[in-house]
Amino acid sequence: MAENKSYDKPLPEFRPETKPYWEGTKNHELLIPRSKESGEFFFYPRALSPGEDMSENLEWVKVSGKAKVWTYAIHHMGPTKAYKGEPPYVVALVELDEGVKMMTNIIDCDPHDVKVGMEVEVVFDDVTDEVTLPKFKPVK
Amino acid sequence: MASNNPRIEEAREILKKNKIVIAGVGETEQGKIPDKSSFHFLSQASKIAIEDAGIKKSDVDGLVTAFSLVEHTFMHCTTFADYFGMRPRFFSSVAVGGATAVWMVAEAAMAIATGQAEVVLCVRGDNTLSGISSSGMVALIREMCHAEFEFPYGLTTPGGYALAAQRYLHDFGATREHLAAVAVTMRKHAALKENAMNKEPLTVEDVINSRIIAEPLTKYDCSIISDGGAAFIITTEDKAKELGIENKLAYLWGMGQGYSHQYLTTLHDLDQIYNAINTSGQKAFQTAGIGPSDVDMAFLYDCFTITVLLELEGLGFVPKGEGGPFALEGRMEIGKDLPVNTHGGLLSQAHLGAMHHVIEATIQLRGEAAGERQVKDPEVALVHGNGGIVSAHSTVVLGKEPLS
Repeated sequence: MAENKSYDKPLPEFRPETKPYWEGTKNHELLIPRSKESGEFFFYPRALSPGEDMSENLEWVKVSGKAKVWTYAIHHMGPTKAYKGEPPYVVALVELDEGVKMMTNIIDCDPHDVKVGMEVEVVFDDVTDEVTLPKFKPVK
Repeated sequence: MASNNPRIEEAREILKKNKIVIAGVGETEQGKIPDKSSFHFLSQASKIAIEDAGIKKSDVDGLVTAFSLVEHTFMHCTTFADYFGMRPRFFSSVAVGGATAVWMVAEAAMAIATGQAEVVLCVRGDNTLSGISSSGMVALIREMCHAEFEFPYGLTTPGGYALAAQRYLHDFGATREHLAAVAVTMRKHAALKENAMNKEPLTVEDVINSRIIAEPLTKYDCSIISDGGAAFIITTEDKAKELGIENKLAYLWGMGQGYSHQYLTTLHDLDQIYNAINTSGQKAFQTAGIGPSDVDMAFLYDCFTITVLLELEGLGFVPKGEGGPFALEGRMEIGKDLPVNTHGGLLSQAHLGAMHHVIEATIQLRGEAAGERQVKDPEVALVHGNGGIVSAHSTVVLGKEPLS
């Protein structure tokens, strides 16, 4: 996707422990953290596994980016002025094949075609030179 | 409903012995009230509650406040103590979003039961409608969701509740009408309350046809924003007698909390929310020694229509998925199965967290609600607050008589 240097919507502020995730998306790879002790994936990324193991021994696993829509909300109003005049957009929670959920936008389709359970796959939106947001589109 | 948990039994004994009561309530005018600061509202509400109890300011030795969305302070309770001119020997700021007001009751009760204070003023006030800047509003929305992994996708606060609502509609085959019915009942009740912002009649069609905010939710599925203050005074029956308080007292019978998630990203399924609500409710019910069918009226957190359905079901008033028909059949109205938010709630009366829910429960138990608004001879009330996006829950059960 084309870069948009005048992008004025909210951007993520990286934390030290989330840097590998955002480096991954910049390379158009979806990396999900997994505890090497419990073998469990988790999301959002944290410095320690949120499981019983509380492990700092983590690995970043490149995943397929296949997911299903768990729920969605068609936003007619955005959180900041940057959304003014924009057409309605879909904020969704998708469940990756690996079992974790992510918040995202469903793009490349009519918002009203989105359904719970719909199969989607990751696409990478280079919103600035520094930030790439993973979004999802319906599997054709 | 007896508990097998010895800690719950002990809590019950503590509440029976201490006879914790709500002895005074105060609400300022609610609405769009420019030119009054957050601390002005806090002070006014405190004064009204102290006068309602008929005590002196110096009789108050404990203070519980919350937070301000407009005037941020690092130590809210002591900042207010300074402003109001008091030197409490117990002070605490409770900050669990919409669960705050309900947990203030518990916080005060715990302080009293452990000898920290005898007369605790609990107060919230804010000029949210008139005082918040657009950047302040953005900061608030950003705080309600994960700034790094949710906010960049344009999630709004109504959008977060819309995500929960959409999944609810999917899981139970519920309809838009079911959600809208909640707003309709709240509006009917607000019409009976003097100090309420929105009173003009509302129909299910009006709700559905109002401006779309985040599908499936429209404008009237969302609570109002208001300026105002509200306060209540917690003490013991003995202390109330000693101070010559003449008000009828509302007795604390039980309390509980339950937590699901902070960010929707970590929500596994709707059962996670139901379990948090149920954990909160069950602790309160078991301590009170009662069950849902013993409750005469409920004050449920209605920041959005969906929360009322989730709470009705999670607390066990109706089975899962049956909150919608219950609302649509008007069974939450005064005079029906379970009157809910007889003051009109956050959807129609005013938005100060659950402060007005606690106050209305007290007024109803006193038998002092005006005219048609009064529930007939209520003995037991439940108040439930929810903070975050249906994430952090707290419940109290209040009785007209001491817990026995």
